[in-house]
Amino acid sequence: MLDLLLNAISDISSVKTILFLVMGVMFGLVFGVIPGLGGTTALAILMPLTFGMNSIEAFAMSGGIMGAVAMGGAISAILLNTPGTAPNAATTLDGYPLAKQGRAAEAIGAAATASPLGGMFGVITLLMVLPVAKELILLFGPPEFFLLAVFGLVTIALSDSSNLLRGLISAGVGLMLAFVGYDTVTGGERFTYGSDYLFDGIPLVPALVGLFGVTEMIHLSITGGKVAGDAGTVKLHGVMKGIKATLSNWKIVIRGSLIGTIIGSIPGVGGTVATFIAYSTTKRADKYPESFGTGRIEGVIAPESANNAKDSGALLPTIAFGIPGSAEMAVFLGILVLHGMQPGPTMLLNNEREIYALIIALTLSAVFSAIIGIALVKWLAMITLVKGQILAPLVIAVSLVGTYAIDSRPGDVVVAAILGMVGYLMLRFNYPRLPLVIALVLGETAERGFLQSMMISQGNWGVFVESVTSIVMVLLILFTLGWSFIPNLIRAKKEARVKSE
Amino acid sequence: MKNLLLATVLIFILVGCSEPSNDVFPNQDIEVIIPYNAGGGFDAYARSLAQYMQKHLPSDVNVLPMNMPGAGGRRGAAHVYRADPDGYTIGIFNMPGILLPQIQGIKIAYDVNELTWLSTLSADGYGITVDDESPINSIDDLKNLGRNVVYGATGPSSTSYIATTIVSELLEIPNEVITGYKGSGEYILGVIRGDVDAAFANYSTIQPYLESGDVKVVAMIGVNSDDPNIKDADDLGVPELANLNVVRMMAGPPGMPEEVKQILEKAMMDALNDPQFEAWLESTGNDATPMNSIETTNSVKDMMVFYDKFKQFLE
Repeated sequence: MLDLLLNAISDISSVKTILFLVMGVMFGLVFGVIPGLGGTTALAILMPLTFGMNSIEAFAMSGGIMGAVAMGGAISAILLNTPGTAPNAATTLDGYPLAKQGRAAEAIGAAATASPLGGMFGVITLLMVLPVAKELILLFGPPEFFLLAVFGLVTIALSDSSNLLRGLISAGVGLMLAFVGYDTVTGGERFTYGSDYLFDGIPLVPALVGLFGVTEMIHLSITGGKVAGDAGTVKLHGVMKGIKATLSNWKIVIRGSLIGTIIGSIPGVGGTVATFIAYSTTKRADKYPESFGTGRIEGVIAPESANNAKDSGALLPTIAFGIPGSAEMAVFLGILVLHGMQPGPTMLLNNEREIYALIIALTLSAVFSAIIGIALVKWLAMITLVKGQILAPLVIAVSLVGTYAIDSRPGDVVVAAILGMVGYLMLRFNYPRLPLVIALVLGETAERGFLQSMMISQGNWGVFVESVTSIVMVLLILFTLGWSFIPNLIRAKKEARVKSE
Repeated sequence: MKNLLLATVLIFILVGCSEPSNDVFPNQDIEVIIPYNAGGGFDAYARSLAQYMQKHLPSDVNVLPMNMPGAGGRRGAAHVYRADPDGYTIGIFNMPGILLPQIQGIKIAYDVNELTWLSTLSADGYGITVDDESPINSIDDLKNLGRNVVYGATGPSSTSYIATTIVSELLEIPNEVITGYKGSGEYILGVIRGDVDAAFANYSTIQPYLESGDVKVVAMIGVNSDDPNIKDADDLGVPELANLNVVRMMAGPPGMPEEVKQILEKAMMDALNDPQFEAWLESTGNDATPMNSIETTNSVKDMMVFYDKFKQFLE
């Protein structure tokens, strides 16, 4: 393995290849920052450019893009409360409050440190499990997919105990939206009203742009003022503080990366859920969970370390079976085919060299984009000082154009606009928005996994505890439920005892 | 002054000369609509071919692939159908993918019979795929399983589902189809993991899994088998099944002028026979079965008749 890695490093370290890598990083950062656009769009746009390159150069550029979008997306999540890409959604929860307190530079510094660390951790994990990749992927069938989705939903339900009911209502709306469209199991169309647009369901990215980007800008223009209350409080020199905070919270980084790698490797679930679970696990393990959401630096570190680790995870099913672990990987598979490779189980045998080159490119890209992010932090943080009247129309216009650019579907813009208004109402009446997003991601996986399991087992519920993986998942779900309820029960009992005495 | 006059005259002559060539097709970029997302086999085939089409067109214009995913390919088909028939908007289509909704009577914004069919690029049959260690080795084994054979497929109106149903019905194999898999890669994985007994997967998709020894093929449908151990439609005594395949065809809007059609057709045929494109096909496990415009138009008519016969299974 070491000689393969060294080979890959020497493959990549030509001036031209590094140049393409840096180009990918630049592109990835810009596409990451603009809400709506993301790695998938960046890869699809640059795909024709790779025709003239050799496969190593093409992989270097793809790796550059994939490694850099996370950093770009974190910047808009922190500064504008608008996730630049879907997996950055969890970063808004504490990143934006930090920006509001004038600590944007610190938050970006933390994200820029957590990203490459998470990326490297993910790569190391990937290299370790690559020989058993096939076996790992085979552990997940329809019953396991269902249980995983349930686990994700349980995590949302418990993520905010002070606001439990509102969180559940929000998740319920998300589930309802997830069921719009063509149902691939029964072949029926649900809530489509004969529209070809709704046939494909409510798309995630426009929904996110609406719920976060548009909502936040409506809020900003109604309240007036700037993101960071007044200029006096903005500290542009907090970067080092953020870097230090990340390094001293290395346990959170490792946990986040591990969660990112594992959940990232599961097709259809992906980054948005991974970063959210990393966030809520960190929150639950903390001494003061209720202080999350008010601007805890740990709330930035956990999701951002998961965010870059998830790319390595997503590579696992892509390499082992040619099944894309994420939307970016789907486009990447296309690039593979264009360069005369055949995705599928033979890739690890035939294209080992290119795969290792991609792994190195992903790592380098995370480091490069972090350096660029840190270098620009001063100027970026100034955004929080721009007046709402100027910032809001700009951000709304750019996000809506970005949404349209994905597939040039006008319907996407309508979804973003409607959900933007819904999001503003949710904000006003204190309903959390993230549960809606997570439920929108997981609804389809949960339903499909359940129906397929029931068809396969012919209605026997035992299918959900048949394999070791599913038993582990069931225990994980019970443990998560117990973790949040049992302490409350004990406390309630104690209080009851105190009262009766 | 004289020189200036001469120059002016020359300019006029030059402009005059270049004018008629401006009317010759193509004088602007040609857009190829791909009705699926970027990534994936369909997209790659179209993008790769577009490169070589560009090379073989009479004038120096670009052939630009454009993804227009939505409604299982119906959005892209409708876009091409509605476009001006000037030859600058054409599309690559999955047949019978966009034909089935028309037979099923689903409301669609195009008519397969009216599109200007330009060429056929490739035809891919199905392999009935089972796990490498499965006791099932032949169609007879499938029939004598003593219970329903459980297949994996994508949605109930997908080509894989319809192939599964038609073959099972004609060969009298009792069956049950687990739908909802997100693509052929996923249901092949379902076969390997043991979720299902078997699946109908496109032959080119199975290649890498055969090579790695994860699966084996018990029969081939819509493609001829060279291996005496693997039966094809003829061996099974149902030659009709040879019509069951997934074909990539190129088409333009209805009413395209004859000369435009011929230029596009020729560029596609030349691209398909370009040695560099052939090398790409070879290395990616794809293949080409070129057919010209007339053959393609007839083949669409035949498909219409063939699938119409099985209308009762398509609902």
